[in-house]
Amino acid sequence: MDIDGDTDEASRRVQVRFVTKLKPPYKAPPTSITIPSNLTRLGLSTIVNSLLKAGNDDWKTEAFDFLIDGELVRMSLEEFLIAKSISAEKILEIEYIKAVVPRKEEEPSLHDDWVSAVDGSSSKFILTGCYDGLGRIWKAAGLCTHILAGHTGAINSVCVVKHEAESRVDQVVATASKDMTLRLFKVDADESLNQPKRVQAFKSLHGHSASVQCIAAEPSGNQICSGSWDSRINLWQTNETSSEGDAIYVKKRKKEGQEELQKKEDAISTLVGHTQVVSAVVWPQRESIYSASWDHSIRRWDVETGKDSMNMFCGKAFNCLDVGGEGSCLLAAGGSDPILRIWDPRKPGTLAPTFQFSSHTSWISSCKWHDKSWYHLVSASYDGKVMLWDLRTAWPLAVIDSHKDDKVLCADWWRGDCVVSGGADSKLCISADIPII
Amino acid sequence: MTEEKKSKNSKGKKKAGKQAEEQSQLNFKEIEKAVTGVQDWDSGESGSSDFEPVVSDGYDSLTDTGSESVQLTESENEGDGVRDSAYDVSSETDSSEDEVAPQNTVGYDAPEESDSEDDDAPEESDSSEDEVPPRNTVGDIPFEWYREEEHAGYDPSGKKIKKKERENKLDKYLEMIDNAKNWRRIYNERDDEVVELTKEETKMIRKILKGMAPHPEFDPYQDSVDWVKVDKAEHPFPDAPEPKRRFIPSKWESKMVVRLVRGIRKGLIKVDDKPKEEDRVYLLWSDDPNSTDRHHIPAPKPKLPGHEESYNPSLEYIPTEEEIKSYDLMYEEDRPKFIPKRFTSIRSVPAYDKAVRETFDRCLDLYLCPRTHKKRINIDPESLKPKLPSRKDLKPYPSKCYLEYKGHKGPVVSISTDSTGQWIASGSKDGTVRIWEVDTGRCLRVWELGEAVQHVAWNPSPELSILAATVGQDVFLLKTGFGTEEEQKRVDDLLQFQSQTIPDASGGSENIVKWSQDDIHGGIRLNHFKTVSSVEWHRKGDYFSTLMPHDILFSILYWFLFWLLFSATKLVKKLETGLREVSSIAIHAGGDNVIVGSKDGKLCWFDMDLSSQPYKVLNCHKKDINKVAFHRSYPLFASCSDDCTAYIFHGMVYSDLNQNPLIVPLEILRGHASLNGRGGVLDCKFHPRQPWLFTAGDDSVIKLYCH
Repeated sequence: MDIDGDTDEASRRVQVRFVTKLKPPYKAPPTSITIPSNLTRLGLSTIVNSLLKAGNDDWKTEAFDFLIDGELVRMSLEEFLIAKSISAEKILEIEYIKAVVPRKEEEPSLHDDWVSAVDGSSSKFILTGCYDGLGRIWKAAGLCTHILAGHTGAINSVCVVKHEAESRVDQVVATASKDMTLRLFKVDADESLNQPKRVQAFKSLHGHSASVQCIAAEPSGNQICSGSWDSRINLWQTNETSSEGDAIYVKKRKKEGQEELQKKEDAISTLVGHTQVVSAVVWPQRESIYSASWDHSIRRWDVETGKDSMNMFCGKAFNCLDVGGEGSCLLAAGGSDPILRIWDPRKPGTLAPTFQFSSHTSWISSCKWHDKSWYHLVSASYDGKVMLWDLRTAWPLAVIDSHKDDKVLCADWWRGDCVVSGGADSKLCISADIPII
Repeated sequence: MTEEKKSKNSKGKKKAGKQAEEQSQLNFKEIEKAVTGVQDWDSGESGSSDFEPVVSDGYDSLTDTGSESVQLTESENEGDGVRDSAYDVSSETDSSEDEVAPQNTVGYDAPEESDSEDDDAPEESDSSEDEVPPRNTVGDIPFEWYREEEHAGYDPSGKKIKKKERENKLDKYLEMIDNAKNWRRIYNERDDEVVELTKEETKMIRKILKGMAPHPEFDPYQDSVDWVKVDKAEHPFPDAPEPKRRFIPSKWESKMVVRLVRGIRKGLIKVDDKPKEEDRVYLLWSDDPNSTDRHHIPAPKPKLPGHEESYNPSLEYIPTEEEIKSYDLMYEEDRPKFIPKRFTSIRSVPAYDKAVRETFDRCLDLYLCPRTHKKRINIDPESLKPKLPSRKDLKPYPSKCYLEYKGHKGPVVSISTDSTGQWIASGSKDGTVRIWEVDTGRCLRVWELGEAVQHVAWNPSPELSILAATVGQDVFLLKTGFGTEEEQKRVDDLLQFQSQTIPDASGGSENIVKWSQDDIHGGIRLNHFKTVSSVEWHRKGDYFSTLMPHDILFSILYWFLFWLLFSATKLVKKLETGLREVSSIAIHAGGDNVIVGSKDGKLCWFDMDLSSQPYKVLNCHKKDINKVAFHRSYPLFASCSDDCTAYIFHGMVYSDLNQNPLIVPLEILRGHASLNGRGGVLDCKFHPRQPWLFTAGDDSVIKLYCH
C-alpha cells in the first residue's frame, strides 16, 4: 500500500498464512505474511522454501503445490482470487502440499516387443505383458525375474490375482492374449534369481472366440473376469485345487521338452450384453463388475445375477476404465478421443461427465486411479505421454514424456509413489518418487 | 287610405299616387280575398264578419279611391271621365247580386284634397305597391284582437291609428240601399277603410271565377309563332294519333305479373328486401388519399441545413487534411456529399461547382431511366440456401485423425477391414500386404508378394478370415490366421481343397485362370492371363469375382461388371452419370442408393427408385475421386481424392419412400500428403462398426479418423 508509484501490479498485496498437513520438517511457522498478489506457484514455492529454510539450516529446496479452498493454484494468485471471487481483504489460508511430480526416472526395462499391459498392484513386483506373447515379472527397473510363457499370441492384458492368504508364497498372475485364451501362472515373488525363470501356466482358460482384450481379478482373488472381441465377459475360477472337480477335462501337454500339467478350463459364467469388443473390465467389489466397450457404453454388472445394473451410453468407444477416487465410486474412462472423462454414477439422471481432462492429443489407452488418494489418477495416451491428474485442477500435475513419441499402451501406479508405463517403444518406464500424501 | 285622408302630406300624396297605379292591376290575392269577401257578404252571413256592409266612414276613402281611379283612367285615356260612370258596372254585374244599390255621392267632402292629389299623381305612377310601407304596423294578426280597441294599430311613427267612428248601422244600411255601387264596396278592416272595386277588377274577378285567364288583355287563342325556323323537317313529328294500345294495360305484362306473384308466393322467386348496394360513386380524377398508390413514393424529406453548411462554419466542422485525403480513398458512394469550407464573407462563396454536372446527370437520368417500375428483389441470400441440419446434430462422424498405421514403403493402394473391425489389411505398391491391429496401429503380418498390390479384400464372412489380394496378373487368397482353431482349420481345408477341385469346375475357362497352391504365402494363387485390378467378395463370402481391366473400356466394363454383380445374372438398370470417367462406386446397405465417384471430381448420388439420373451431384473435389464408400450402419459416406482430402457426408436414407435422401457435407479430412500431385488419398474405408474412416494415402500411411 505504501509504494504505489512504480508498479501497480506489485503494489497489490495479500495477507496469507501457509498451512500444511505435512510432517514437521515441512511445517512452516503459522504466521501470516504479506506477499505480492502476482505470485505464481513458483513464487509461492520459493516463499515457503525460504520460510522453511529460516527454521532449518540444512533445508533442501522442495517443490510445493498450493491449495486454496480445495483448488490447486495454477495461475497467478491475483487471477486465481479474481476467478474464484475470493476476497483479498482477509488473511488467505494457503495449504501447501508436495508437488506431485516424479522426481526420479528409472532406467527403462527393455522388452522384446511392444509392452501392451502392466500391473503394479503388487508392491513386490511389476507384471507386464508383451506383444511377443510373454509375460514378465520385474522386481525393479531392469530386473526381470520371471518370464511367463505359453501364449501363442500377443498379450493384451495382465493382472495380479490377489489372495487373501498373505502367507502364501506363490503369487498367482493372469494374462490375456490375442490367442483367445487366458493363462494363470504361479510365481514365487520372493525368489531371488540371477537369470529370468521361464514359467509355464498352470491353467489355461478357453472360452472366448476372439482375442481377449482385458482382464480383471476379483478383490478376493478367487475369480477373474475377462472381456473379449467376441463382446462377452467371461468369469473364471482361479484356484487350483477346488476347480479340479469342475474342470471338464485335464490335458497333459508337452512343450519344449518340459512336461507340465496344464488344465484347460471353461468359463463359469458369461455376461452377455455388449455389442462390440469389451475393451476394459474392472472388478472393484465382489458383487459388481464394471466394463467399458467399443459400443460406446459403460456397464455395471451384477455378478450374482449376471445382469447389467447400470448402462451408461457415452457416445465414444472406450479403451480403458477404472473405478476409484472418492469412495471408490468415480468412473474414469478414456476412449477414442483425447478426453479423459470422469463420471460419478451416484449422481442420478445425468450422463454428463463430472470432470473432463483434455490435455492429451490422441486416444487414451489407459487410466488408473491412485489406490490411496481420492484425487490422483494417471492416464496414458497414444500421443506418447503419461499424465498425472488431480481432480482439483483441470491441468495435468505432471507430464511424463519418457516414451518420447511412441504410443503408450499401458500405465499403472506402483507402490503408491511410482508410475509404471509401457509402450510401443518396447520399454517399461518407471517414474519414481511421486509424493502423493 | 284612411291615414292618407287624415294627414295629407307630400308623402301621403306619393303613396296615393303609387296606390293609384296599383289599383289598376290589383294583386290577385287581394282580389280573390275581395271576391270571397263579396261572396261572403253576398251570402249575407253577418255584419260581424271581416267584410261588413260599408259604413259611412268608408265614404271618404271610397271617394278617395274613386278620384284616384279617375286619374288612372284619365292617364290611360279611357273613356270614363266621370268616376261614377267608371264604377257603373251594374249592367255587367251578376243578376244574383240583387242588393245592388245606386251609389250616393253625398258626403263627399274632400274636393281640394283630391285636386292636390291629381297634381301629384303622374309623377308617382311608376312606383309599385310593394314599396309602400304598411300603414298599420301591427302585422299579420287576427284582427278581432283590435275589435274592442279604439285604435286599429300603429303607424310607422308609432302613433295609434284611430278607428273611424262607425256610422249608425241603420244609416249604413240605408246608404247601402241607396248606393247602387255599394256591392262593389268592401270594408278592409285592417286598414279600417272601404275599398271599392273598379270595373276592371270586377271583370277580373269574374274571369277568375269562370276559370279564365284573369288579365283582360290576355288572348288565349293567339297565333303560334315559329320562333325556330325549320325549312324542311327531315323527321317530322309523327302526326298519327296515339294508338289504342298505348292506353290499355298490356296483357302480357299482367300475365307476367301473375306469374311473378305466383312465383313469389311459392317461394320460387326470392325477393330481396335489402336495397341493392350501389356502386360507390367516386371521383374519377381525384387523388384518393386512402388508397396507397404503389407507384408513388414520396420523396424523402431533405435534411435541414446545419451549422456545417454555413458559409463560415466553426472550426470543428472543417475536416482536416487527413480526413480529406481519407475521403479520396473511399468509394464514391461512401464519400460525404458535402465538405464544409470556410469563407470570409458570403460574397466570396463561389457558385455551386457541380451545378452543370448535376443538371446533366439529371437529364441523363430522365432520358435513360426506364419507365417501368422495376421490382427489386430483396432476398437474403442466406435464405436461399437449403436448410441443412446442423453438423452437431449429425454426430458422430469421423473428424480427427488420431491413429496412423505406418510401415509401408510405398503408396498404399487399397485397404480392407475385417468384419469385426479388429483388423485392417492394406496393400501397397511396395509389394506387401499388411494386416494391422486397428486399436493400436500395430502391424501384425506382412506378406511379400513381389509385385505392386492392386487391391485387397477381406472376406466379409466372420468365419472365413481369408484375405484376397491382386498382384499383377495374380490373385492371392491368403490365410490370415485369425479366428478360433476350428475356423482356422476350416480355412486351411478350404484353401487346400479348392486348389484341386476348382479348376475342374471352371472347365473351359482353364486358359483364363490358372489355380495353384502358393506355399510361400500360405494360400492359393490364381493366375489370370491379363492384369487383374480388383477383387470383390460376395456378401456371404462364398464367391468372389475378379476384374481385368484391359483396354479402353475400363469404366464401362467396370460398370457392367458391377451391375452384373449387383443383379447376379443380367443388367437390370443403366444409370446415366453424365460424368467423364467413373472411377469408383459404392452401394448403400439398403441397396437402393448408389454413389459414384468420377475422375473429374464429381460425386453422384443415385436413388434407384427415383430415376436413372443422379439425385444429387456433389462437385466437391478438385481432382479425381479415387474411392467412395458407404458406412454399413451409420448414415455416412465418404469420398477420397487426388487432392489429398477425404470428404465425409451425412447420407440419410429414409425408409419412407416419399422422403428423399438427406445429404449433408460434414467434414473435410486432410492430413495426407501427395508426393507428385497425383494420388493423394488412394482408398478410404469405413470401420464396419464405428463411425471411423480409414484412409490410405500416397504417402504410404494409413490414417484412422475418429469421431
